[in-house]
Amino acid sequence: MLMISPRMASGMQEKQYTPSLLSFFIYNPTFGPREGEEEKKILFYHPSDVEKNEKIRNVGLCEAIVQFTRTFCPTKPAKSLHTQKNRQFFFEPEDNFWIVMVVRNPMIEKPNKDGKPPTVEYQEEEILDTVYGAVVRQCYSMYKLFNGTFGRAMEAGGVELLIQKLEKFFYRYLQTLHLQSCDLLDVFGGISFFPLDKMTYLKIQSFVNRVEESLSLIKYTAFLYNDQLIWSGLEQDDMRILYKYLTTSLFPRHSEPELAGRDSPLRPEVAGNLLHYGRFLTGPTNLKDPEAKFRFPKIFVSAEDGYEELHLIVYKAMSAAACFMINASVELTRDFCEQLDSLVGPQLTLLASDICEQFTINRRISGPEKEPQFKFIYFNHMNLAEKSTIHMRKTASVCLTSVHPDLMKILGDINCDFARVDEDEEIIVKAMTDYWVVGKKSDQRELYVILNQKNANLIEVNEEVKRLCATQFNNIFFLD
Amino acid sequence: MDAEAPRAAVSWENGTLAPVDHLRSDRADSPTPGLVEGTEPGAGQKSAMFVRAQSFEDLTAESEELIQREAQLDKPIESAEELEVLVGEKSIEEQHNNDVASENRTKEEDVSSEAWRSHRKHVFVLSEAGKPIYSRYGTEEALSSTMGVMMALVSFVEAEKNIIRSIHADGCKVVFLAKSPLVLVGVSRTCQSDKELLRELQYIYYQIVSLLTLTQLNHIFQHKQNYDLRRLLAGSEYLTDNLLHRLDRDPGLLLSAVTCLPLPSSTRDVVSSSLQAAKAKNLVFSILLAGDRLVTLVRKKDQFLHHIDLNLVFNLVGSSSSFREGEGWTPICLPKFNTAGFFHAHISYLEPASDLCLILVSTDREDFFNMSDCKQRFLERLNKRSAYQSLKEALKCPSYSVEQVGIPELRHFLYKSKSSGLYTSPAYPVVYQTDEEQERLMGLYQDLHSRLHHPTRPLRSLYRCTESENLMAWVTSGFELYLCFSPLGTKALAVSAVTKLLKWIRKEEDRLFILSPLTY
Repeated sequence: MLMISPRMASGMQEKQYTPSLLSFFIYNPTFGPREGEEEKKILFYHPSDVEKNEKIRNVGLCEAIVQFTRTFCPTKPAKSLHTQKNRQFFFEPEDNFWIVMVVRNPMIEKPNKDGKPPTVEYQEEEILDTVYGAVVRQCYSMYKLFNGTFGRAMEAGGVELLIQKLEKFFYRYLQTLHLQSCDLLDVFGGISFFPLDKMTYLKIQSFVNRVEESLSLIKYTAFLYNDQLIWSGLEQDDMRILYKYLTTSLFPRHSEPELAGRDSPLRPEVAGNLLHYGRFLTGPTNLKDPEAKFRFPKIFVSAEDGYEELHLIVYKAMSAAACFMINASVELTRDFCEQLDSLVGPQLTLLASDICEQFTINRRISGPEKEPQFKFIYFNHMNLAEKSTIHMRKTASVCLTSVHPDLMKILGDINCDFARVDEDEEIIVKAMTDYWVVGKKSDQRELYVILNQKNANLIEVNEEVKRLCATQFNNIFFLD
Repeated sequence: MDAEAPRAAVSWENGTLAPVDHLRSDRADSPTPGLVEGTEPGAGQKSAMFVRAQSFEDLTAESEELIQREAQLDKPIESAEELEVLVGEKSIEEQHNNDVASENRTKEEDVSSEAWRSHRKHVFVLSEAGKPIYSRYGTEEALSSTMGVMMALVSFVEAEKNIIRSIHADGCKVVFLAKSPLVLVGVSRTCQSDKELLRELQYIYYQIVSLLTLTQLNHIFQHKQNYDLRRLLAGSEYLTDNLLHRLDRDPGLLLSAVTCLPLPSSTRDVVSSSLQAAKAKNLVFSILLAGDRLVTLVRKKDQFLHHIDLNLVFNLVGSSSSFREGEGWTPICLPKFNTAGFFHAHISYLEPASDLCLILVSTDREDFFNMSDCKQRFLERLNKRSAYQSLKEALKCPSYSVEQVGIPELRHFLYKSKSSGLYTSPAYPVVYQTDEEQERLMGLYQDLHSRLHHPTRPLRSLYRCTESENLMAWVTSGFELYLCFSPLGTKALAVSAVTKLLKWIRKEEDRLFILSPLTY
C-alpha cells in the first residue's frame, strides 16, 4: 500500500492508494477433485497466512469463473474477472495448472467526520487488463527460466517438490513485483538494443567467437552494454526473459560497486586486479578467496527436444556485460573460472572503453540533445526491439516515466485497439489535457508518440509525426 | 478545429436538468467560432424538449435520482395498489397476444450447440432467486441452470462485500448488472466496452420497469422471492427482443438522442401548434412519430421527457403492429420520469397505412375518450391548415443522402446537438447496404463513442485510419460529431470536412431539427 499523494481536501486528509497485490495463487483442480480435499488443489498461496477456508473459497471462485466462461466459449479460457474492489487475472500456462493474480483497484480514502470509518472509493477503470495479464505471464516465464516447467518438477519429485520450488521462487519474486509502475512496456516485454556502428559490432562479434572457441564448454553467449543488448545466441523468447532478469534484477543489484570510488572497500575484487575491471556477477565474488564456491545459477532454455539446463555465468567489465551459458551437466571448477577471468577480463575491459568512445562520438555527431517536443515508444514484434524516450532508467524497484499516468493508459488503450485486428492502423487522439497521442501500427511494428503541442491541429500533428519517423525510423514504412 | 477545445471540458460534469433558454440572437452565423452549448447547429431556441441528456453517463449513473415530479401535475398518479389492479397478471398478455412478432420468436435452440454459443450478443434477465425471466436466445427453461450459476457468481462475490462486474476471455466478455430485484447479464462477442454493454443492459432493465413499474416489481419479490416473473411478462418478450435489435442499429440509443423527420419548418410549426391546441386536462405529452423519427413533441409546461423514456415509447410503438388496427390504450411507466407509477398512452396511426403515429400520454387511466377526442381535434386542425398534405409529402423522403452535403469521400456521419438532445444522420450509403455492414458501422461508432466518453480518460477528438475506412470523432460542449470517410480520405480533408459539415447543418437546421418546441 503505497500512498502517493495525500491531498488536503476541505481540511481533511484524503489518501490515494495505487494498485497493489492482494493475492497470488497457483492451483490444479485435478489434484483434489473430491469434496473435503479441496486444499490439495492449492500448490502455492500468497499471502500464506490466509485462513485455509478462505483460500479454498477463492480458488473455488476461480474454478467457477473458468467453468462458467466455457459455457460461452469452450476454446478461449477466462482471462480476467473485474469486480468493484479488484481484478483477478487467470493464466493456464500448462494443462490444468492455473496461476491467479488478484490486484486491488486503486482507491481514494476520504475521511468522515465524527469518527466514522472513512469512505473508500474504488477507481475501477484504472487497471489495464493487457498490462497485468502480461505481468502474470512474465511471472511464469521467470519461474520457468530458473526451474523449468511445472511438469518437470512433477516428474522429478511429485507435488511435494513442485510445492517446494514454487514456495522458494515466488516468495522472493513476488516482492519484486511493482504493480503500480507496470505499463505498456510490460505488454511488449521487449528488448532494448544498443545502437552501434558496424566496426564496433564486428569487434564484439569476433570477441564472442574467440571466447567460444577458446572455451569450448560455452554453448551460448549474450553481450550487453549499458543494459542494452548487442549480441545474443539464444532463442528470442529465452533472451526476452533473461534480458528482463538481467536488467531489472541482477544488474541493479550490482551497480553500486562501480559507482563507488576506486579505493572504496565496496570493490575488493578490483583492488587485487589492476589488469582489468572484469568481475563475476554470478558465481564467485572473489576468485582469490580460497573458500570461494564455483556455483552458478541454473537456467532452462528451449531446445529441440523440449528444454535444456544451463549454468548462467554473467561477467561484467565497466558497462559491458557478457553472459556465458554452459551445459548444466558439466561441473564448473576454479580452474575454468580463472581461465575465463584471465581471457575475458582484459578483452572485455578494452571493448567496453571502445564502445564508450564510439558512443560519445556518435552522440556528438547527432548534435546536442534538445528537449524534443515529443516522446515515443517503439516496438517491433518480429525482433522484440523496443525503444522508449518516455521511460527514464528502469530500475529494480521503480520504472520512472516522464509523462502523466493517464497518458500512459491512453497508449495502453490504443494498443488494445491495435491488438484486436490484424491490420495496419493509425489512431490520433487529443486528450482532455490537450496532449496529442498518436499510435501507428504497420506490419509487425508499433509506434506511439505523445506530442506536447497543445495548439497544433490534426494536420500539424501528422506532419510532426512524419518528421519524427523520417529522423528516427527512416527505413521503416508506416501507413500514412 | 481547436479553437473551442478549452471550453469543451466543462460539459462533462455539469449535468443540470434544467434547460437553458436561448434567444435567436445568440446563434452565431458561422457554426464554428464561439460555439457554446445552446448555440450549436440544431439547438432549440426556446427551451429543450427533453430532460437534459448529457450523455450516456446519465444511464450508467449509479444513484437513481428519483425526481419527484408528480406533485406538480394537476392530478397525482394513482397509488401503488391501484396500479396492481391495473396490470393484472393477464393485462399485458391480452394486450399483445394477437401480435405477430411474438409468434415469430424462434427460441427453440439447442443451448449446448455451437450455433447458440456463437450469437453475437446474449442477454439474460433473472431474479435474485436465480429464476430465469428472459433470454434472448434459447428458452428460459433450458437455461435455468446456466442462470442459476450466474446468480451464484453474483451472490458469491457479494458475500465478500464486493460487486461482480465482468469476465473477460479472448473475443468474449460477460457483464453483470445487479438492479435489485433483477439481475441482468450480457454475453458479447463484439468489441464493445463494458460501459457500452452495461448501458444496453440498463435499457433492458428500464424496458421491464416500463411494463410493471419498479414499485410493483419490488412488491412482487418482497412477497414471494422465487416468483416466476415470466407469468407477468409473458407475451411481452418481443419488446425486449426488438429493443436489443435497435440497440445494435439505432444511433439514437447510442447517442442518447432522437432524430427528426426532415420537414420544412413552416409545416412543422403548424403540426406543432395543432398538437398544442388539442390539449386536455390530464394530457402531459403529445408525440407525433413518423416511423422511428420524431415529427414533433408537445409537452406540458415544466414536464420533461427523458430520452430513455422516449426511446422506450418508440420501441413500444415500433415493436407492435396491433396499434395499426385502431386506437390503442395502454398503461406505460416512464421509468426516468417516475418509476412508481403508470401513465396511459393513447396510441394510434393517423391513417391505417400511414407511418404517422400519434401518442398522447395522459395521467388518467379513464381518459381514453378524452384522448380520442384530442386526436380528432388535432386532425381537424391539421387538415384545415393544409399542413397535412405537406407532411405526407415529406414522408416520402424521410431521410437524405450524404451527397447532399457535398463533401468528397464522406460516407456517413452522426451529429448530435447536445442541448436539444436531437441528432441527424444521412441514409446509409451503398457501401453499408446490408444489415451486417450497417451493424459493423454502428460498431465503429460505438467504439468511437466509448473512447470519447471513457469514464476516467475522456478524449476531445479521435481520428482513426484503418484499411476499410477513416473515422473521426469530435466532442465539444455543444455537440458530438462522428464522421466516416472512405479510406482514401486524408487528414486535411477530414479537418476541412468538419467545418463544411457544420456549416451545412447550420444551413439546414430548421429542416433537420425541432428548433422551437412547444408546450401547452
